[in-house]
Amino acid sequence: MSDLSATVPARQSKLFRSFSVRDAGTLIGLVLILAVFAALVPGFLSERNLVNILQQSSINACIALGMTLVIISGGIDLSVGPTAAISAVLTAALLVAGYPVPVALMAGLGIGMVCGMVNGALVAYAGLQPFIVTLGTLSTYRAIALIYTGGNPVLGIPASFRSIFNGNIAGIPNSVIIVALVALAAWVLLKKTPIGEYLLAVGGNEEAAYVAGVPIALTKITAYVISGVLAALASFILIGRLGAAEPILGNLWELDAIAAAAIGGASLMGGKGSVVGTILGAIILGSMRNGLTLMNVQAFYQLLATGLIILVAMMIDRLTRGRG
Amino acid sequence: MASTARLKFDGITKTFPGVKALTDVSFEIAPGEVHALLGENGAGKSTLLRIMSGVARQTSGDFHVDGEIASFRDPDSARKAGIAMIHQELQQVPNLTVAQNMFLGHSLRRLGGMLVDRREQERRAAEALALIDPSIDPATPIKELKVAQRQVVEIARALLEKAKIVAMDEPTSSLTPSEFESLAAIIKKLTASGVTVIYVSHKMDEVFRICQRGTVMRDGKVVGTVNLREVAQADVIAMMVGRELMQEEHRSYATRAVKLQVENLSSKVSAVRDVSFQLHKGEVLGIAGLVGAGRTELLRLLAGVDPAAAGTIRVDDRPLNLAGPRSAIAAGIGLLPEERKREGIIPLRPVSMNMALPSLKKFARTGLVRHTAVRRTAEDLLKRVNLRPFQIDRPIKLFSGGNQQKAIIARWLAAGSDILLFDEPTRGIDVGAKSEIYHLIEQLASEGRSIIVVSSELPEVIRLSDRVLVIRNGRIAATLERHELSEQALVMHAVGDAGTTVHSSKQEHSNV
Repeated sequence: MSDLSATVPARQSKLFRSFSVRDAGTLIGLVLILAVFAALVPGFLSERNLVNILQQSSINACIALGMTLVIISGGIDLSVGPTAAISAVLTAALLVAGYPVPVALMAGLGIGMVCGMVNGALVAYAGLQPFIVTLGTLSTYRAIALIYTGGNPVLGIPASFRSIFNGNIAGIPNSVIIVALVALAAWVLLKKTPIGEYLLAVGGNEEAAYVAGVPIALTKITAYVISGVLAALASFILIGRLGAAEPILGNLWELDAIAAAAIGGASLMGGKGSVVGTILGAIILGSMRNGLTLMNVQAFYQLLATGLIILVAMMIDRLTRGRG
Repeated sequence: MASTARLKFDGITKTFPGVKALTDVSFEIAPGEVHALLGENGAGKSTLLRIMSGVARQTSGDFHVDGEIASFRDPDSARKAGIAMIHQELQQVPNLTVAQNMFLGHSLRRLGGMLVDRREQERRAAEALALIDPSIDPATPIKELKVAQRQVVEIARALLEKAKIVAMDEPTSSLTPSEFESLAAIIKKLTASGVTVIYVSHKMDEVFRICQRGTVMRDGKVVGTVNLREVAQADVIAMMVGRELMQEEHRSYATRAVKLQVENLSSKVSAVRDVSFQLHKGEVLGIAGLVGAGRTELLRLLAGVDPAAAGTIRVDDRPLNLAGPRSAIAAGIGLLPEERKREGIIPLRPVSMNMALPSLKKFARTGLVRHTAVRRTAEDLLKRVNLRPFQIDRPIKLFSGGNQQKAIIARWLAAGSDILLFDEPTRGIDVGAKSEIYHLIEQLASEGRSIIVVSSELPEVIRLSDRVLVIRNGRIAATLERHELSEQALVMHAVGDAGTTVHSSKQEHSNV
């Protein structure tokens, strides 16, 4: 990227402009956390561990990107974990039954899309509040995954599937590459397409957006569909790594995703959020977990640290905005 | 004690980081006086009110209430000292009752403070209301009251708290002329009982009707205090804006070509019934009527925001598909809503994107928005409407009401709309920007666009319109040509012949 910007100066200023002050703040937060762990944990900044952090953050980052779009549109998607579970068990079951990998993949992404579409339609057409809708589907989707599998994990996912999501290219894990591509696509969607501006408009002021001719229902449904599809994709990364699909997978994923989006500058009021910020937010959470684990800190304290980092990030956000 | 001022400002200065909001503000207000506080937006009126009511503190200087230095830590201590604020946007809790709102934060208790004594609250609320408007039931939820009634509740609350000074910020911005009359009567009662009223309004006619004296502010300084019985409106406006505003003649660009034809249009969700009219190319058509008569609702219906129950709209003789704002926008109709904050702007987005929002598809032929094209259009159009400050990447919420309105005008120019529906085009906009908006409307008409203007300000309707429809109870009560326009004629048609028009709602329902 650096040689690209060096050869095309106009591009450079554009790239710079799209990197907002708020994103710079998140980046500073990340650098500080990395610096602290670098001082405390030998080998924390090693190339291998940094790649590890990215890999460990990839699932949350994938979910959080969809969450960011939904939050920007003024909604929330609490059902991402169960959506991932449904998609995981369906995909795994098809693979085990001997269906070709592309068919299983399409089916998994398709069911994620359907889950998102149901959320979106209930929000957009039934006029229900997003929190309640996705709280309802959180249980419903989980129940479907459990009923479908009888509560048992689907074992024996073939290596051909696992190598797609668990392999690596030139030392970089495929999961990281996949999520990077998703992030790029989400960035383009938000910054460069009409639907991105519609998301910001609907979340920023739905009434005004309607008067200005923005297709409200379509915009909202798009956000939930993307969130559902990305939940499915995230589940592929997980079952690729584990080799099995549990119907209870993805528990509490929604909270990590919301945390990453919020740390990255998304406002739960809607109308505001950043793809770059969300990625940085997911890496911040991943680094915390990685560093604390390397320090042999008990899981209880890891939870405490995660909670505090979210609160501190939000307070800094509030304070800096108050002054500006 | 007659020589003691009720309220005396002595060298009040307020600085914010980088800005001097008030500079050495000094003037006096007498007991029982109705004193106007005049000035454009940003002149410092609000800051002064905020200091007076304990919301903000002055940087230096003092003010005195009945000769004693006042120093308020918070709004509550200002209330206790007898200063009540009636805000433009009433600060009430919609789901609570009138009485509960009047005792908000100071509820009467019984059983040693464990329970709220609702009955006693309602009794005292009724007592206070009886003095000004006995028709309001203290047990009604606030949300069921009209804005004018809510305001009465706020005033009654001030009485209940034995306020000595009642400051009203733009109290009539959403009142009808007849509601203004009752407010004027209430203010008279207040002053008769010794209460001092500070009245902030942009509407000069009202100010001159009900205030004795006025203090004019500009750029955070007092320009002067005048006796309103002895000066002319034009002089006061000149003091406010620092220059003379020319009283300009109406100019017509109307042609005979029919642009918009509406037939028997009725709304599904509002009182608008059976409306038929034509709008010509280059014409400015005014719509007058009382608040609640269906003016805003008619515009919403034309813009596709409200659904229609019956009727047709034809644009350039082609029938319009009444399926929401998108088809209206595609047919060239653009709505400039009255409540810009709620229905007009996307607050956090830059002016340029607020402008481009309805026409994004045009800027994204390949699927990706060409931001350079958006910028070029934004620079061109926002320069034409004279956006100030000219910073097209700045979030629109940081601009004044007048400049937000200009941005919305640019929005519809960018979308290629040639029928513009203005709902209260200058509400909440100061005197200087007002004439700019008038000129823009005239310019748009001169370019062949067709314009409808809804306004509660009769001088505005008369200044702008080639022709005026008067709406009453959701129907067109009269159509007045340019030469028939006068404030009396408009009011007469708007209220109807009070004696003879008793509406039989049963008959009216038959044509839904």
